[in-house]
Amino acid sequence: MKVTEKKTKNRLLNVGKYFLVLFLIVLPLIVKNPFYQDLLFMMFFYSVLAGAWNFIGGFAGQTSLGHTAFFGIGAYTSTLLYLNLGISPWIGMLAGAALAMLVSIAIAVPCFRLKSHFFALSTIAFAEVLRYLSTYFRGITKGSVGLLIPFNNGWPTFMFRNKIPYIYLTLTLMLIVVFVSYLIKISKPGYYLRALRENQDAAESLGVNTSLYKLIALLISVFFVALAGTFYAQYLLYIDPETVFTFSISISMALFSIIGGIGTVTGPILGAFILTPLDVMLRAWFGNQYFGINYIIYGIVLVVVVIYLPSGIISWIEKKYNLIIEKLLGGKLFSEKVVKELVFNQNEVMFPKIKLEEDINKRPILFEVKELTKRFGGLVAVNNVDFKIKQGDILGLIGPNGAGKTTIFNLVSGFLVPDSGKVLFKGKDITNIKPPHKICATKIGRTFQVVKPFQKMTVLENVMVGTFAVIMDRKRAEKKARQLVNFFGLNKCIDYLAENLTIADRKKLELCRVLATEPELLLLDEVMSGLNPKETEEIINLVRKISEQGITLLVIEHIMQVIMTLSNHIVVLNYGKKIAEGIPKEISKNRKVIDAYLGEEYVIN
Amino acid sequence: MLLINIEKISTFYGDLQALYEISFCIEEGEIVSIIGNNGAGKSTALNTISGVFHPKSGTINFMGNQIEKLFSHQIVELGIVQIPEARHLFPRMSILENLQLGAFVSRARMEKEKTIRYVFDLFPPLEERKYQLAGTLSGGEQQMLAIARGLMARPKLLMLDEPSLGLAPKIVKQVFEVVKQVNREGITVLLVEQNVYYSLNISDRAYVLENGKIVMQGSGKNLLKDENVRRTYLGI
Amino acid sequence: MFIIIIQLLINGLLVGGLYALVSIGLCLIFGVLEIINFAHGEFLMLSMYMTYWLFNILGIDPYFSALIVFPVFFIFGTIIQRTIIQPLLNAPSLNQIFATVGLSMIFQNIALLLWKADFRIVKTSYSSKVIIIGDYRIGFTRLVAFLIASGGILILFLFLENTYTGKAIRALAQERRASQLMGINIFKTYQIAFGIGIAITGLAGAILMPLFYAFPTVGNLFSLIAFVVVILGGYNNLVGALFGGLIIGLIESFGGFFISPHLKEAIYFIIFILILLFKPTGLLGHKENI
Repeated sequence: MKVTEKKTKNRLLNVGKYFLVLFLIVLPLIVKNPFYQDLLFMMFFYSVLAGAWNFIGGFAGQTSLGHTAFFGIGAYTSTLLYLNLGISPWIGMLAGAALAMLVSIAIAVPCFRLKSHFFALSTIAFAEVLRYLSTYFRGITKGSVGLLIPFNNGWPTFMFRNKIPYIYLTLTLMLIVVFVSYLIKISKPGYYLRALRENQDAAESLGVNTSLYKLIALLISVFFVALAGTFYAQYLLYIDPETVFTFSISISMALFSIIGGIGTVTGPILGAFILTPLDVMLRAWFGNQYFGINYIIYGIVLVVVVIYLPSGIISWIEKKYNLIIEKLLGGKLFSEKVVKELVFNQNEVMFPKIKLEEDINKRPILFEVKELTKRFGGLVAVNNVDFKIKQGDILGLIGPNGAGKTTIFNLVSGFLVPDSGKVLFKGKDITNIKPPHKICATKIGRTFQVVKPFQKMTVLENVMVGTFAVIMDRKRAEKKARQLVNFFGLNKCIDYLAENLTIADRKKLELCRVLATEPELLLLDEVMSGLNPKETEEIINLVRKISEQGITLLVIEHIMQVIMTLSNHIVVLNYGKKIAEGIPKEISKNRKVIDAYLGEEYVIN
Repeated sequence: MLLINIEKISTFYGDLQALYEISFCIEEGEIVSIIGNNGAGKSTALNTISGVFHPKSGTINFMGNQIEKLFSHQIVELGIVQIPEARHLFPRMSILENLQLGAFVSRARMEKEKTIRYVFDLFPPLEERKYQLAGTLSGGEQQMLAIARGLMARPKLLMLDEPSLGLAPKIVKQVFEVVKQVNREGITVLLVEQNVYYSLNISDRAYVLENGKIVMQGSGKNLLKDENVRRTYLGI
Repeated sequence: MFIIIIQLLINGLLVGGLYALVSIGLCLIFGVLEIINFAHGEFLMLSMYMTYWLFNILGIDPYFSALIVFPVFFIFGTIIQRTIIQPLLNAPSLNQIFATVGLSMIFQNIALLLWKADFRIVKTSYSSKVIIIGDYRIGFTRLVAFLIASGGILILFLFLENTYTGKAIRALAQERRASQLMGINIFKTYQIAFGIGIAITGLAGAILMPLFYAFPTVGNLFSLIAFVVVILGGYNNLVGALFGGLIIGLIESFGGFFISPHLKEAIYFIIFILILLFKPTGLLGHKENI
């Protein structure tokens, strides 16, 4: 896209946003009809719910269908504190949010490890239990009778005769939710959340503590949902289990988010803005005679969106908007002009150059594997394997299909725990370190046999996930990422989504991304597979440059020419056992190795 | 008679190209091998013929039929059967049930009883344990069952994907003996293998696949003696 | 006391058999297609209404209308599979979940719109008949429901064990790639499997009608029961669903008597949560997709 066009597009968008917010602020003053005022309140209110759900359901990708539990906790806590202890709902609101967050931790910790369908089921179950409890403990909650809040006008009691203050308060809350969403999206947690949603394994290998970030997303989500519960209680002045602990609230939150655009900042708001008036209008037109028609329409829209427009209405609007800008500016949106490729300085240091001993023989042992063993049921996948890697080496790990090479990678990178044996890095025992993000912190990085790019993030964003492992500040992380992208020759596609890259560029991206975490030892898993000779040569050069920076490499590779020329030391595996070790020349003549690959009876002339 | 002719087939996984316009053919009654290192594209070639993947370009002609656009179940119906890498038996079904499922296509179902008898004669241990669950068999027994199950579909072309994988040398010998015998009885065989010696030894002809391209071809015996084959595998 | 226990046992098993039939469709669909049908209860609800209308308008006895409901719901199931489920087979689970959630919303509210919230009952000549054997009383409709449920489950098992289509369904649930290579048309098989799952659920609704009453949200209650039964028994094991149903029936019977009938739902939820947390594969399930 031409730079000027992109700037114009962004400028228009920004101006548009400010006008919209201004309009929303002025709107409540214009609208006099109480029916429409109520509608406005509902629109802002559901935006808060949808936006809040989006933190966990959209950004973190965990489908919760039990969020009504937190809504109810918020509503009941503030109400009970007010009715029984006279505490102002403003304080009660925070107490409710705190309680909801505590409860959510208790639910999340055991449930996060369940896979999506089962996680969703368990959240429904928990919400229902809470509804049941609220009815059961009728001594406190008055059960199904519900709680009535006697009217007492005033700011301290959060009650107003006029709808206007309610509307403005909810609008403010909505704007806060949008702002927090925006902050998260552009900051480290936002990148980490998107990464873990796209590919949890890759995120972990880059140092993302996925469990922690899921929990953070959940807590933020729950906080706002609980506040909304209090707002609801104060608006209607009546709550009961059937209205605040109901499954339809859980569904609505998610529904608005999905239809609007899940995982985006403004999508959930859009969803709420479109569907809430629709709901109210339908109710008004059809009245109680045709009760339920709005849900039928919701259901149909939901099914259609989920099948045909999974990114939501907002993505459709974005496409149309881009087309319109194109027409207005009269040119192609994505021009062929390529950003001038920065000539990179051969000597430019991309990441702290590791100082190596001049004398190769004096270099210390960086990485050691001792008697490493792993069984899967009756099969011994890795059988008592030992080897050492000196700092600065390139060790090639080879062996026929099924010999145990990738299992060893998984054992030393925190994805699997060995049954016996030790793994030592810089003298420290790292055998049982799990999960993988902790291994990344010890400065070991890895790539994957089947590349795992974060598909819906750009090249730059992918690399930034890596840089955030060592840099906190976003601006500096971005700068470092740009340098790395330059080093790897990916400038021409720096703003492309990873899913649109060629396979060779995806491999380079995977290398670039893991190097951003500044590893001292890098594990490369079949990084050349699927490339043509020219692309293979590019990658080999990149690997050599990485080695020149002082980074130690452990490489699995099948293309023999490559591994024999690249490595200075080779370990050969077969059936999980080490069958040979030595320099490439020796290995190619080794009888056992030839047997393993070509067959016992193979005779060399 | 030419049984199957693969011409300029290119298969992609998304934008990753796995096969680059490969061409080869198999005559009726032959045993043909495709050898090559891991990642060369051997399994992709078999799965393209089986209809699991559809090629982006090129044609496959089987006994006068253009089959590159057909679905996998139609290809089995025509008589091309693949015995997949790592066997993929139905673990919670008995040996007998696995065999019955092998004869799923209507052409084979009619002769089911006869074929089961044939297969049990070929592999007596399978008959002894016909009610045992497939998941509880040893590696060698599983491979035997996988081949037997493939034969149940009464193939004209039997394709085996790395039958020696994970098996002890003695068992590998037995497996290849069975392949030879089955071929003697009239079934054409396409064998994909990493183990060069056994496969080239029993093959009439072979092709060497490297990075999705065919780089060498010749008779089995000749390729066995060829230095270049060794270089492809060992890099030096 | 002994008499009471036996009576409770009888009641529990009778209703348990019915619960097994209610749940087995859900189990089959999850085992083969690996999706959780959140609209399961709604299919049951729709078949209950269909039975009701067949009785009210055409005077067909519910147990005979089961013969009509079964094929109708089979076709219904295949249509839903082809239009909604099939396009989403490889989509992220969020989309799959919300597709069936959306269906659930649509069905519930169409029922609400068309037939209002009133309870619908089918009253036949034998509705209140009770069979007395010694000291024990057995509700006639309960007995018939149990017998039909048992028969239905038996026929299902026989079908899956002995017919080629049935074997293909089981094969597809265990090994997708190999099924393809055996010449099994996996698209058609998915359709048939889903269709059967829905048809069985329809059958359950038909025989449930004389015992219970229909209203638009009745699906919620039975969805809950079905989920608990399936998770308890083992989410991809049909025999597990059978045992799960019987166990839940017994729990309801004994729990209702010794503790309180109102705590029924709470007990289900607690069992559900405990299993998901501590033994997600349930009693007989195989570890695959948890």
